[in-house]
Amino acid sequence: MPALPVDRARLIAYLTALVTFSFLTSPLWLGAGLAAVLALAGRQGPRLLRRALLATLAFSGAASATYAALSWWTQHRLPLDWLLAANLRVLLMALLTFLFIARVNLFRALDFSRRLTFLLTLAVSQSLGLRRTLDDFRLGLHSRAIRPAGLKARYRAAARAAAWLLDRALANAHESAQALQSRGFFK
Amino acid sequence: MHIPDGFIAPQMYLPLYGVAAGLWAYGAKRVGRELDESGLPWLAALTAGAFALSFIALPLPGGASAHVTGVGLLAARFGLWQAFMAASLVFALQALLFGDGGVTTLPLNALAMGFAGAAAARGAFLLLRGRFPAAAWFLAGWIGLFLPSVLIALALGAQPLIAHDAAGRPLYFPLGWSVTLPALLIPHALLGLGEGALTLLGGRLMERLHARYGGVA
Repeated sequence: MPALPVDRARLIAYLTALVTFSFLTSPLWLGAGLAAVLALAGRQGPRLLRRALLATLAFSGAASATYAALSWWTQHRLPLDWLLAANLRVLLMALLTFLFIARVNLFRALDFSRRLTFLLTLAVSQSLGLRRTLDDFRLGLHSRAIRPAGLKARYRAAARAAAWLLDRALANAHESAQALQSRGFFK
Repeated sequence: MHIPDGFIAPQMYLPLYGVAAGLWAYGAKRVGRELDESGLPWLAALTAGAFALSFIALPLPGGASAHVTGVGLLAARFGLWQAFMAASLVFALQALLFGDGGVTTLPLNALAMGFAGAAAARGAFLLLRGRFPAAAWFLAGWIGLFLPSVLIALALGAQPLIAHDAAGRPLYFPLGWSVTLPALLIPHALLGLGEGALTLLGGRLMERLHARYGGVA
């Protein structure tokens, strides 16, 4: 039996660990999981932990603060068990995802399907190109006006960018299909 | 604001994955049937367009901005299944390439925003475009943002009911519907006005472009 490619094995391990962690509710197990993932991350650990914290802070912070305030208001106590367990779980799962992103090439992990790899490669490469042009649109609006643009001008600029974007996407689709057809991809 | 992993209980996200997987399989078949062999590049380009669309700032009064979802515009212009497949791929890419949003929240986002939002937007657009074309574009944008917020508020508020300990204390998202519904619905009803205005302007511009230069699809 051929060995499973490393990236695909890591994708399977990541998804299995993510689902397993989502079942954990004990702060002790969650803390142990966090320590294990940090150990796996090695030197990248602190940087990935910071990224995970920043990525989840807005939602976790809002939910935690609202629940803590409500509990204090209605029961005159803080839900410390929930605060600890929920925030540890969210942080653990986000850290695992950032470790996965840092260590795994998603395109290689999904290369068992030629069509899926092609779809992802084309979508991601075109997204990056379109995003760069959107930045040009934004900078163009700033450079054309001495004062900050008003609401109406910003709406018109955003709508122009959206219409251009979808029109460009259509043209890209058409061109890619022709290019693939001429190279015999669909045979 | 994306919901990170860890707030939606497995009792909810696992069945939602089942429902979403069925719709993804059917959607892939539909897109393939409608577009023949150009389906793959079409879907890739539309996903790239939807992904980039999420980086456009929705202008708010006072110089502030929020992010466009673009679901209404996509559904009104391209139809339910193409919008659903493109939006789902965008959520997957955001989660697995950029750590934005979560893998366990993916089916909720895909079903609420990509499917229900797109279906409502497409339905509203088809219903009104004959007699009130401007209202059709506007409503597609508004409902494409507002309906998903209702569904996500319901899903979040259901967490304390479906996943709690023996004493009834929540294990995942802790706040019930009395908090989630007003917290999500009021801002999204207002943000929807901006998304509706942007969808109207963007949709009209696309119509003009196609009338002038002809479409490629």
